[in-house]
Amino acid sequence: MRMIALIIIVLSGGLLLYATQDFPQWADPASPASLHLSPHYIQKSMEETSVPNLVTAVLADYRGFDTMFETTVIFCAGVACFMLLRISRQTPEDRYYRHISTGVTIHIKDGGKIPDKSKEFERIDTMWTPFDLVIKTVCRFLIPFIQLFALYVIAHGHHSPGGGFQGGVILGASIILLAISHNLRTATKRMNEKLIGLLCVTGVFIYAGTGALCLLIGLNFLDYSALASVLFLDPVSARSFGILIVEIGVGIAVMATMIWIYNNVSSAGKYDEGL
Amino acid sequence: MDIVVTALLVIGLVFFTGGGVGILRLPDFYTRLHPAGKLDTLGSLMMMMGVAVFNLHHFTWGALLTSLKIILIVVFIFLSSPTATHSIVDAGVRAGLVPWTKKERRE
Repeated sequence: MRMIALIIIVLSGGLLLYATQDFPQWADPASPASLHLSPHYIQKSMEETSVPNLVTAVLADYRGFDTMFETTVIFCAGVACFMLLRISRQTPEDRYYRHISTGVTIHIKDGGKIPDKSKEFERIDTMWTPFDLVIKTVCRFLIPFIQLFALYVIAHGHHSPGGGFQGGVILGASIILLAISHNLRTATKRMNEKLIGLLCVTGVFIYAGTGALCLLIGLNFLDYSALASVLFLDPVSARSFGILIVEIGVGIAVMATMIWIYNNVSSAGKYDEGL
Repeated sequence: MDIVVTALLVIGLVFFTGGGVGILRLPDFYTRLHPAGKLDTLGSLMMMMGVAVFNLHHFTWGALLTSLKIILIVVFIFLSSPTATHSIVDAGVRAGLVPWTKKERRE
């Protein structure tokens, strides 16, 4: 089995290397990309898409198909992490609880009776037990600002460096910070596993759905000027808004995937206590 | 204006230099974290303040907004850097690293 895999990998690698022979020379000014494509993007992207940031225009509009599958790759990474690591069946284990008002810790062995509903006890991690007032307070203060900045990065991708991927990562990092500073259960209480999975799918669906909507209206896949009739705009600003919609989809997918991967890796798939 | 900017930058530089020397010369983990956490925060604070003032050289409302953003960076560094140092020290204590004392060295 491993031999077959090795042969397939070597063969496909060789094929890829062979295919690179057909590429134009590095930085060749006479290559088709430099002759026709780049000047078109540089001169026309503003009047065609009304997006000042050239990179965003190329990434999400001219090459939207490519970016759609980049989002799908990230989604696949999240799903692969979930499939490999998540353990659904849980053996009874030791748990630690803390009496909130006195700070007395109790240790319950092998799935004994658990004061789960009680308001006087809170569950604590086996590794990380103290009260961390400083870290908790500062993180609680900082997380809203981080999330606000992430939304700014996503929404401002047209005009400045940024966009869905970066903003999504920052959003995901804010939730991961919550999981690190408090504990994993607090973070999963805010964003439970089902919601994360759903958001992951939703992000990719928004992207692909926008493309399919363009196809339904009657233009090419991901040709956002088709959205002009839906958004009641002229085709040029429709392309700009189409990029924004797609970026939001990317942001949601990336955010959910980051949290998903963190949860699975840090708790070894058990979801009870993380780092 | 220029004098203020230069003074702020030089003060920041002094703090950074002190922090760097401290990280290199101090004997153990906790004492090294002390300059790393404190002097870097203060040094970047001074430097950022200098940059913010320099940005107002030609006063426009846009420049004022940029300076306010720079000061916002200072605020966030001021909040997050000591917290990070605190948590690193906390982790060191919990991992069982004993602080350095002079007595131990003589033995």
